[in-house]
Amino acid sequence: MNHWIIAPIALPFATALLTMLPMGLTAQRVISLGSALLLAVISIGLIGLAGGEADVYALGAWPAPYGIVLVLDRLSAMMVALTAFCGLAALMHAVSGWDARGRDFHPLFQFQLAGLCGAFLTGDLFNLFVFFELMLIASYCLLQHGAGASRRAAGIQYVVLNLTGSTLFLVAVALIYGALGTLNLADLAVKVSAIEPHQVPAVRAAALILMVVFALKAAILPLYFWLPSTYGAAAAPVAAIFVVLSKVGVYAILRLHGMVFGADAGALAHAADAWLLPAALATVAIGGIGALGASTLRELSGYLAIGSSGLVLVSASLGTPEGMQAGQFYLLHSVISVSALFLLADAISAFRGDDGDRIVRARAIEKPMFYGILYFLIAIAAAGLPPLAGFMGKAMVLSAAVHAPGTGWVFAVVLIASLLNLLALARAGIQIFWHCAGEAAIPSRESWRKGVSAAAFLTAVTVALAVAAGPVARYAGYSAAQQASAYEYGGELLRKGMQVNR
Amino acid sequence: MSFADIALPVIVALPFVGAVLPALTARASANVIAWAAAAVPLAILALLAPMLPEVFAGNAPRVSFAWLPALGLNVSLRLDGLAMLFALLIPAIGLLIILYARYYLSASDPMGRFFVALLLFMGAMMGIVLSDNLLLLVVFWELTSLTSFLLIGYWSDRTDSREGARMALAVTGTGGLALLGGALLLGHIAGTYEISEILGMGELIRSSDLYLPALLLILAGAFTKSAQFPFHFWLPAAMAAPTPVSAYLHSATMVKAGLFLVARLHPALAGSDAWFFLVGGFGLVTLVFGAYAAMFKHDLKGLLAYSTISHLGLIMLLLGMGTELAAVAAVFHIINHATFKASLFMAAGIIDHETGSRDMRRLGGLWKFMPYTAVLAIIAAASMAGVPLLNGFLSKEMFFAEALHVQKLGAVGWILPLAATAAGVFSVAYSVRFIHDVFFHGEPKNLPKKPHEPPRWMRIPVELLVAICLLVGILPQMTVRPMLDVAAGAVLGSPAPAYSLAIWHGFNLPLLMSVVALAGGTAVYFSLQKLYRLHLHEGGPWTGHRIFHELHTWLLRSSAAANARLANGSLQRYVAVLVSVSLVVGFAAFAEPIDPHQAVLMPLTAPAAAGWMVLLVATAVVVAKHRDRFTALVATGAVGLMVSAIFAYFSAPDLALTQLVVETASVILLVLVLRFLPQRSPLETLPRKRMRDIGLAALAGLGTGAAAWWLLTRPHASISDYFLANSAPLGGGTNVVNVILVDFRGFDTLGEVTVLALAALGVVAMLGAGVAPREGASAARRSVMLSKSAQILLPAAMLTALYIFLRGHNLPGGGFIAGLVAGASGVLLYVANGIAWSETRIRFAYRSLIGGGLGIAFLTGAGSWLFGMPFLTSTYDYAHLPVIGKVPLASAVAFDLGIFLTVVGVVMLMLSTLGRFSGDGGKQWKPS
Amino acid sequence: MEALVASAIGILFAAGVYLLLRGRTFPVALGLTFLSYGVNLMIFVAGGMLLDAPPIIGSGETYTDPLPQALVLTAIVIGFGMIAFFLALAVAAHGDLGTDHVDGREQGR
Repeated sequence: MNHWIIAPIALPFATALLTMLPMGLTAQRVISLGSALLLAVISIGLIGLAGGEADVYALGAWPAPYGIVLVLDRLSAMMVALTAFCGLAALMHAVSGWDARGRDFHPLFQFQLAGLCGAFLTGDLFNLFVFFELMLIASYCLLQHGAGASRRAAGIQYVVLNLTGSTLFLVAVALIYGALGTLNLADLAVKVSAIEPHQVPAVRAAALILMVVFALKAAILPLYFWLPSTYGAAAAPVAAIFVVLSKVGVYAILRLHGMVFGADAGALAHAADAWLLPAALATVAIGGIGALGASTLRELSGYLAIGSSGLVLVSASLGTPEGMQAGQFYLLHSVISVSALFLLADAISAFRGDDGDRIVRARAIEKPMFYGILYFLIAIAAAGLPPLAGFMGKAMVLSAAVHAPGTGWVFAVVLIASLLNLLALARAGIQIFWHCAGEAAIPSRESWRKGVSAAAFLTAVTVALAVAAGPVARYAGYSAAQQASAYEYGGELLRKGMQVNR
Repeated sequence: MSFADIALPVIVALPFVGAVLPALTARASANVIAWAAAAVPLAILALLAPMLPEVFAGNAPRVSFAWLPALGLNVSLRLDGLAMLFALLIPAIGLLIILYARYYLSASDPMGRFFVALLLFMGAMMGIVLSDNLLLLVVFWELTSLTSFLLIGYWSDRTDSREGARMALAVTGTGGLALLGGALLLGHIAGTYEISEILGMGELIRSSDLYLPALLLILAGAFTKSAQFPFHFWLPAAMAAPTPVSAYLHSATMVKAGLFLVARLHPALAGSDAWFFLVGGFGLVTLVFGAYAAMFKHDLKGLLAYSTISHLGLIMLLLGMGTELAAVAAVFHIINHATFKASLFMAAGIIDHETGSRDMRRLGGLWKFMPYTAVLAIIAAASMAGVPLLNGFLSKEMFFAEALHVQKLGAVGWILPLAATAAGVFSVAYSVRFIHDVFFHGEPKNLPKKPHEPPRWMRIPVELLVAICLLVGILPQMTVRPMLDVAAGAVLGSPAPAYSLAIWHGFNLPLLMSVVALAGGTAVYFSLQKLYRLHLHEGGPWTGHRIFHELHTWLLRSSAAANARLANGSLQRYVAVLVSVSLVVGFAAFAEPIDPHQAVLMPLTAPAAAGWMVLLVATAVVVAKHRDRFTALVATGAVGLMVSAIFAYFSAPDLALTQLVVETASVILLVLVLRFLPQRSPLETLPRKRMRDIGLAALAGLGTGAAAWWLLTRPHASISDYFLANSAPLGGGTNVVNVILVDFRGFDTLGEVTVLALAALGVVAMLGAGVAPREGASAARRSVMLSKSAQILLPAAMLTALYIFLRGHNLPGGGFIAGLVAGASGVLLYVANGIAWSETRIRFAYRSLIGGGLGIAFLTGAGSWLFGMPFLTSTYDYAHLPVIGKVPLASAVAFDLGIFLTVVGVVMLMLSTLGRFSGDGGKQWKPS
Repeated sequence: MEALVASAIGILFAAGVYLLLRGRTFPVALGLTFLSYGVNLMIFVAGGMLLDAPPIIGSGETYTDPLPQALVLTAIVIGFGMIAFFLALAVAAHGDLGTDHVDGREQGR
């Protein structure tokens, strides 16, 4: 049992409490940024730690399945690292001025990180619910950060939908607990593989309802409506971290899919594929159409986030380790590039006066060369064009789909959607960088350079991903293999969880 | 480690790395920038030179290292005959282009930016031709689309440049995606993406049932890139680019990439009927269409653009024929077209540069002003027309010869030669027009500039290329033969066949066809001028350009409309969808009949029935009267009490207590809130919508009711025996629920109170900035009775809270309930006495209460680290610490204390914040 | 008895969903409250129901399943926090938008 496993939750939590103490904004920034940096470092360490077999952290030293356990395996370590890096970038952006536009930005943001990491690490169904709520309440508050009518309106919708989702989550918990009498995910995997006929309907219902809940978070068709307006209204750094938030839903589906609907799930094996693939494909399509129809760069980014969720789930619903691997690789890349686009959109809008990030003819950008190159790179990444990792991820998904059912559909939808994304990003780039009228506005925020450094940082990360594609893909491959055999994996985790002595 | 192992990767990397040179020197003089850029192609040629002998000897140096093994994407580079041909053409012509552009670009054009894009593009092209991995080829393929986008849009302030760039990217990008699909399929057929391996598997590939889809997708890529009809329209639109760009993209590079791909995969894919009819068919149509359309273009570059399209079609047709000699002819014409078309574009650029116009209706009689340029242009144009002693003639002869020998078409075999001759006629016609309309044909008509010869250095590239046209045209055997052999060999995947490269093959059909073309073409042109009045010709409305534009705008508009219609901003719609989806999956899961199960049911009792009735009635009131908000609120409170009663009745005292206090707090909250929301909801839902809602609600009730019934009537086994067994011995408490909360699942509780704390912070963040506290008269009146009761209640409540807290670990109660009680009663003061009164008496920083509480809870958990135990490990005699000594206290209680404090803080903070401006009914709200 | 409780849960959910689908923030808040009533009871019954068997060691010989009770307690608290936040948001929205419609604008506008 390694105490570092809980660090991604404990560190931001402690930081949040620290920044709640009465202190100046500068102090808050220093502490918050320092902590985020430390978290990023730790997350890399955890990836190394997860390189071997999965490890379990039994809270309160209560053995599984009775106590709550955290599980560090490749997938959770990867997601934690993703959170850490996007969080760091978002903070870098926020300290350029956003965090001064309302109360308690830093505590809220740190709690947000803690909630995200908790959701990724926990190995207990109800504890997952708790961390969902923690992450959500933090996001509710952060969405309101900076106030403004549009945020209020978006907030109402976001909150109501997610509270409904939470209710559904609990319905599923009740059904699962009633049927199987346990909450530990690994224990569930084991119990599901030996499920009795009379338990099947309830567990299937629960699992499918959970799918709906996670699909709502991941903004899968037909539950994506809330995302563009919410992300469009949120402050830039908040939107950037929200991109990770939406992927919690994707992550949960990957887990659930592997665990309850995986090959080992007996009567329930692959029960969800029939639902998942069409929905995921439709989501990819919506991502393409929506991006093309978007009127602002941030709305466009929002639809890109939707599309990426869709693509990851397409690959997951192929039901093969190759698919899972491709999905995880693409997830990693797409989150970073879309977050970067959100941050860049904010940095750009500083120059364009009232037109902000609207995709219309407006004032020119100062330093067009620099911003142009940055946009070009991020756009290539987000559109999934070579030579960046998005292209590789997309190719891996398609490659995994060649021998799967519905190859034609997957190819057609994914490729056409990529084309639409390409057109959308080209259009936005042309309007913003080439079709200018008048001089650049004086940046509304004095320290916009800091603002763009975050986007540049994330861009560098995407490029690094492309260069190191081989190792990263191998990592995702092992991770997929880990998920593939839910039964043994669950049993292994359970054994580890039971080996706790107080 | 051979020379190639290093040289090949360096050659590909060089342009991308070298692209920084012009960027760095961007502020320097034009010559410096140009030299910085020229350094790259020079270096490439220098690196290629040592490898050429090996390639001419028939070997193909190859290097490969893994990039993304999971996908099969390797950095594999290979220099065989075909690759060499292009690998020489690209930097060589690139060099001339750089020299030419140095003088073409005006001072106002940022030259650094231009050369950066040019070098990036050059690198992408080198990558395509050297790739020996299909996916790597796709990578560079898309890079050419992206970089050419930058080149075509170089004059970004011009609408036509932007449009042209967008169009090129859209069309070639589409092709690129198709190509990706095709490459993946092909790779799966062959089991590898290494091209040199794939080329050996022709049989296997053509027999696979994935062959046709793969072929179609790959050809889609090639046809779009090489501007085959009907994807040709982006090429004329790309003429908005600076002429050096056109000269480069449309002679030797961009548009040749498609041909290269078809030639590259020839051994693997060619030989089937599908190949013949697709490649040959598209080539044929494009050949004739391009040549015909070119005659009617008034813009010099427009004419050249369509002639390029036509020649691309010619080469595509040759590759489609699939015969060995056709392949030779194709390769030969690739070389020839590159030379004469590049020189023609440059000549056109010179004319544009020195006269200010490219419109052949205004140009004319330039022979007098720029005879030297005229001579060069005329030779190049003659080569384009296929005049003997020029290289164009030789390859065209070969083409005619091949056109005559195609068997596949059988009875209608005569179509091919006929079409070929027709295309020949047209191409002669537009070549003659190029010469006649520009250099003779009367006087220049009001040109912006007075025409004159260009600067010396601007002509050099044209001279060199024209020289090559002549040399190859006169001495083919000595000049291109070796190159032709190795390149054609690579295309065929076998040694090149025997063929003669003579100018004179005696009197034969091909010669006759050439003569017909030359004579006919000249006649056609002059009759067009005389009879048709060519200069008055106006193009039809439905050009491909126009269609694309319409399509693009339609796409934008309709997708924007789709967004607006789908995500229409109506929460009610969203919720309805969410509920419906959940219902669908829920019911679907329960679809199959459940085995009948006889459960022993509890007998119905009177109090239960009574409670049920109350709950039913209260709920009915809420639903029916929800628009009368206060009534609904009170009824909701009643329902909450019933829920609490249910908990109490079925042995859940803790839940009953919690529900009770939470209910109280909620009601207070709702009352406070209602003070500055409308008191009634308007009646606005349409009956039809209300019907839908009732339906959804009914189904939801049915489903959840059924689920609950299922839960209640199933045998139930759970992990809870462990808690019952260990709560007292290990958890140190007899109230199992409380022990679970603070110990077994303390982590949940920590998260739960954090949620509560955040909610409070959020409330303050939103409303804390509200109006300053004011003693609203209404508030005072409203609270007289309350304030009395408050003064009595408060101390009692506090004692109760303490009591509940202390007994919590063993009996119903605990930190959370205690906290709520304390908090709620504290709030009573606010409600009762208004803000000012309270704040003078209770100086309490709720924030620090919350933070402190969370801190205590967190530190209790973290404390166990000191003992090497996991977070939140509880213990009895925790305090073996030196100073304090042994304190007989379960650490869980400390944790519970943290919870207590947090909850108190939260409740007081929330309610006081809301109470704070309940004073004036929110009328004085200041919008944030 | 089981039927009674099950139907009660169904009723609470039905009411909750109906109110949730209203167009104004206040009834929606009530709807969310009802949903949490319903779902809390549902979790509660997932552990089975017993009379006079509180999970307090020594209070009797049989005990109900304590775990669902703990879960419900957590759920109640979270639900309270969420609804409190939503109400505050509703107030803020009403102040900033001048309407309490859930879409942030009066219909037909």
